[in-house]
Amino acid sequence: MPVKTYDVLIVGSGHSGGMAANILTSKGISCLMLNAGPEADYEKDRALKHAYELPYRGFDKPGRLPHVFQANEFNANQWVDEKEVPYTCPSDAPYNWVRVRLLGGRSLFWARQSFRLSNLEFKAAEIDGEGENWPISLEDLAPYYSRVEKIFRVAGRKEGWPQFPDGDFVEINYPPDTDSIKRFTQIATKQGVGVSKWRSALGKDGLASSINLLLPDALATGKLDIVENAIVREISVDKNTGLANGAHFVDRHSGREMHVKTRVVVLAAGCLESTRLLLNSKIGNSSGVMGHYLVDQMYGVSVVASVPEARDGKAPPGLMGGNAFIPRFRNLSKKDKRNFIKGYCVGISSGGNANANFFPLYGEELQAKLDSYANSCVSGSIFGERVARYENHVRIDSEVKDRWGIPVLHIEARDTDNERNLCKDAADTIEEWFHDAGWEIICKTDRVNPPGYSIHEVGTCRMGDDPKKSVLNKWCQSHDVKNIFVVDGASFVTCGWQNPTMTILSLSMRASEYLAEQMRTNAV
Amino acid sequence: MKRRNFVQNLLLAPVAPAVAAAATQTPSPQPAIHQKPATEPKTPVRERPWGPHDVPKLDLTGVDLTGQPAPHYFTAAQFATLRKLGALFVPPLKSNPGALEAQAPEFLDFLIGASPDDRQNLYRFGLDSLDSQSRDQFQKPFCDLDAQQADRILRPLLVVRPWAEDFPSDPLQKFIAQVHEDLRTATMNSREWAAASEKSGRHFTRGFRGSGYYWFPIDPISQG
Repeated sequence: MPVKTYDVLIVGSGHSGGMAANILTSKGISCLMLNAGPEADYEKDRALKHAYELPYRGFDKPGRLPHVFQANEFNANQWVDEKEVPYTCPSDAPYNWVRVRLLGGRSLFWARQSFRLSNLEFKAAEIDGEGENWPISLEDLAPYYSRVEKIFRVAGRKEGWPQFPDGDFVEINYPPDTDSIKRFTQIATKQGVGVSKWRSALGKDGLASSINLLLPDALATGKLDIVENAIVREISVDKNTGLANGAHFVDRHSGREMHVKTRVVVLAAGCLESTRLLLNSKIGNSSGVMGHYLVDQMYGVSVVASVPEARDGKAPPGLMGGNAFIPRFRNLSKKDKRNFIKGYCVGISSGGNANANFFPLYGEELQAKLDSYANSCVSGSIFGERVARYENHVRIDSEVKDRWGIPVLHIEARDTDNERNLCKDAADTIEEWFHDAGWEIICKTDRVNPPGYSIHEVGTCRMGDDPKKSVLNKWCQSHDVKNIFVVDGASFVTCGWQNPTMTILSLSMRASEYLAEQMRTNAV
Repeated sequence: MKRRNFVQNLLLAPVAPAVAAAATQTPSPQPAIHQKPATEPKTPVRERPWGPHDVPKLDLTGVDLTGQPAPHYFTAAQFATLRKLGALFVPPLKSNPGALEAQAPEFLDFLIGASPDDRQNLYRFGLDSLDSQSRDQFQKPFCDLDAQQADRILRPLLVVRPWAEDFPSDPLQKFIAQVHEDLRTATMNSREWAAASEKSGRHFTRGFRGSGYYWFPIDPISQG
């Protein structure tokens, strides 16, 4: 039986793969999308249940997902089974690799916080005095950010701050700040710290995923075929030209081996999976940089306080509730001398309850405390930027293979004093704000969760102008193999403190339009 | 195959050109490679002998309503210590059941028995240590202590944990933090707790505790 032929193979169906499919098919380019997992049916595959109805009373099967702190028994089947697709890391440096292989990938479950990177990130080396700049600036990406923000319907408040670039936002009426948020804002503002609001993708019907915002349009062109449960094993290369000519993949259920031939390969498997595929294919790494400069954001620093006048159910109307968002305010210029480079954002939430683990109490005494502190709490937590370092890397662990015999990744990432100093500064600063507000500090930690916890891992195929120091050029195109593009977070040079999704989407859009033009002129 | 076609049709129906609207208007270049149409035989349609509406949906009974758990993992002394901790840490309060009423210790016997070695070792060490400390300090097993005596052992072991994942490095403190959290969760996630909540008209919390959207195994590999 004759099979279809395709111009472009897209590996992965999350935000970046969905955007590539959307752009390329809109320009008449035929695409095949291979996704490693199945399509979820929101009606059939989930149901509202009591925890006691689950086999493990909500605890989940012991030992099933030791690295996914976000997992519980309700959502355990969303995540990639760590026994099916394992990875290794040093015993003294755990890494939390949180993966979704359902069609749509992590775009099904993301927190929808939507920020642009600023030139503090794109041109980080200039202010940090170390590291590398991106080969692009905010000005290069701004038009794409704008288009992505419209598609994802990003709601936000414009501020005009260079470290927090404004976008094309949906206008919404934020509810007026409660008195606790006003008090906090007053204190932070007095210190010259800008207080804003979260910026969030509204999407459509509560979902801001590739499966509802990007792939339907692509399918409607008739130029996209999607195959589920197709795990790409290796990119195949034409020995004569050195160019990619397709990929070998395996059916997830049967283990049947297949090969598809295409003119271009676009990798959108999700940062580390794309890098794993390139490393297993042994291509595109003449620089030796592939796998290195793995970076993500720090999450874990937290301070919780209680507003005294809100305790024992006595909060007057309008005191508690609401939130505030503080974009990076440290190291905005070279004049700001700290014992760390980079910065962090702070999210403030008012009106929560205290957790049982906040108090060294038990039984009736604990319950009385929890009742007293209910709805009186204000919490502050951060996303902090790690420094992208060569030593933090992934490589192939040929000793360990996944269920389909594909060698797995070995991941090594460690924090340094820069990360620890940044987190200490964050915890101390939030504590000081809360203290100045007259609130009782309940608990404070500057401990950082293991790398990967934020699910914002980026890097490992960084972009750059110099092929000796980077894997991709500024169009997310392989320096070595011109018909391979990597459009997920692997191209990042620095991670910033921002949720990376808007940047990933914008880079994918930009790369895909460039690719389409290159194909039109037969340059690729 | 049918479901896929159905889903594809659904996706095709509301063609909302989100990207097209946002995109700059540039003429579309011709594809460099023309797609060769593939032929795919249609799945034959046949009458099914019965429709879904003809298959009766039978009422089934939850296993917890038909039998009692049979704890078997912990020793009798360890289990007695665990029950004592349950009574102390999560007593019945207001209209809520306590850990013993919710059979949380019995559930934890099952859960820890099915857990990796490190969790099992932590529990066995912790339960044995408490009992041993009790015998040294009060010349009787932990399960026989009165509330004040138990408090003299437990209180120094309690710590503040800003994050649920923040466990102290001291193994006994770590055990106390872990078993306290596990007893609370096993109690609040029990059928008894849900029934009490329903009776008192309280709403459930969505998420880890109470109720939530459960994702079934999706296209599990074992069925491949």
